[in-house]
Amino acid sequence: MRLLSEGAEAKIYLVSIFGTLLLVKKRHAKPYRASQLDIMLRKMRTKKEAHAMLVAKNAGVSVPAVYATGSDEIYMELIKGKLMRDSAFDRKIIADVGIELAKLHSAGIAHGDFTPANILLTNKGVCIIDFGLAEPNAGIEEKAIDLLLMKRSLSKEFYLLFENAYAKAYANSSAVLRRLAEIEKRGRYQARTIANV
Amino acid sequence: MLVLGIESSAHTFGVGIVKDGEVIANEKSMYSIGTHGMLPSRVAEFHAKVAKKVIGNALQKAGVKIKEIEGIGYTKGPGIGTCLQIGLLAAKTLAYRLNVPIAPVNHAVAHIEIAKHFGKLKDPIALYVSGGNSQILKLDKLSMRYRVLGETLDIGVGNMLDSFARSANLDPAWGSTVERVAKGGSYMAMPYTVKGMDFTFTGLLTYAKRQIGKARIEDLCYSLQETAYAMLCEATERALLLTKSKELCVCGGVAQSTRLKEMLAKLASLHRTKFGYAPNEFNADNGAMIAYVAEKALKSGHAEKLDACTITQKYRIENAEVYI
Ligand SMILES: Nc1ncnc2c1ncn2[C@@H]1O[C@H](COP(=O)(O)OP(=O)(O)O)[C@@H](O)[C@H]1O
Ligand SMILES: [Mg+2]
Repeated sequence: MRLLSEGAEAKIYLVSIFGTLLLVKKRHAKPYRASQLDIMLRKMRTKKEAHAMLVAKNAGVSVPAVYATGSDEIYMELIKGKLMRDSAFDRKIIADVGIELAKLHSAGIAHGDFTPANILLTNKGVCIIDFGLAEPNAGIEEKAIDLLLMKRSLSKEFYLLFENAYAKAYANSSAVLRRLAEIEKRGRYQARTIANV
Repeated sequence: MLVLGIESSAHTFGVGIVKDGEVIANEKSMYSIGTHGMLPSRVAEFHAKVAKKVIGNALQKAGVKIKEIEGIGYTKGPGIGTCLQIGLLAAKTLAYRLNVPIAPVNHAVAHIEIAKHFGKLKDPIALYVSGGNSQILKLDKLSMRYRVLGETLDIGVGNMLDSFARSANLDPAWGSTVERVAKGGSYMAMPYTVKGMDFTFTGLLTYAKRQIGKARIEDLCYSLQETAYAMLCEATERALLLTKSKELCVCGGVAQSTRLKEMLAKLASLHRTKFGYAPNEFNADNGAMIAYVAEKALKSGHAEKLDACTITQKYRIENAEVYI
């Protein structure tokens, strides 16, 4: 097992099983919180994340395949690609990202951390990763936040391309876009920068 | 420079004296809330009554004469209007009589700066936890203003604990009593809501209140506290990783909690991060932190004209310039 990346909640390892490379996303114990709470949170979130990935996959969203889940770890397909955050991208890719989000929202899922740091660009197209904050029974608000995070991360021109592609591909998009406008009017979000990880 | 600072944003009337960046007096008088909470007009009345005495105590403690004071600081906000007014009045009167410069101070900035001072930190992520506030902040060096990375989307963690304490008839009805009763409690699951670096407490509070009388009070206090503090820690952990900051401080009234500091210390060591805070008398509302920040403002030439000194009840921290 080789450590690939370390986030606030989980670590990502590369493992070889029967000669195939896989990824393991493992939520380690947090010694600062009560152990019962710690175990419960890690279990619930791992389950929720794996569930969201499965539902997304079944809805035809481009996400890594989930091979197995434990109480605090998910074994998933290793996607060969580069983070959108660290890559140059064109109009076609932006539109594809909009279409993938439309499919995800149509399936009732909000991603929860929808930024270029959680999108991989591969030679077969875009792939959405990191469902750690995903909400499988999302309301309009959570979906609007997905758009908001993208808006904060892209140039105006690219964001509009993304939004257009999204709006065309998702039947309920107008309600989400209306909510997005509302959220932006609530001052709190104006003063803040939503960090781009 | 010898600066006297006055704090009166809520139930505490505090006077502190700072000399060249070191605190030499920190006196206060606190309106006693008992089990019923506080009425703004009563608190303001209380402040007006004790002001002179607390100022006198601070001067005596510092061993300085009133004529030696070279500058005045006061809390401009945020806080309760009628209470802030008393502090402003006292500060203006002193500045006028002594003919010394005056500086308005943001209460939240003061909490963070005094924690940095005692914690010997340069540029930390700050977890500011008080009655009405719960925020995760970082100083933006370009604008020299604190930027909110995450915060409560509803009520402050302190008010949440106080509200529970009142419903459960704890005496006195506030957070420190919850912490005392929590000893000997065991864990029961409660609503836990963190969204990225933001969090909410009303769901947790409503649930805990409904359990009063059904579950053991020790278990309720323990679980309420563990859940709320774990939420704060998780959001803080995300902020640390995001900013790659290697320093952390906690400040504000709830920073007096031993358990919260213990949890944050473990969190910090997990990420090889330096963790610091001020002694408890400076986490509770106090005048020394106001004097401390005012001295920096005055030394860097940011005195305010006496006539322009006002209060702002909803003075957001993002709008306050920081002078180091
Ligand atoms: N299925 C995958 N295939 C390839 N790389 C991945 C995959 N999942 C995660 N990664 C890599 O690991 C990093 C962190 O994973 P992520 O699921 O985003 O965890 P975190 O919650 O820590 O952000 C990603 O930024 C990406 O570089
Ligand atoms: Mg990620």
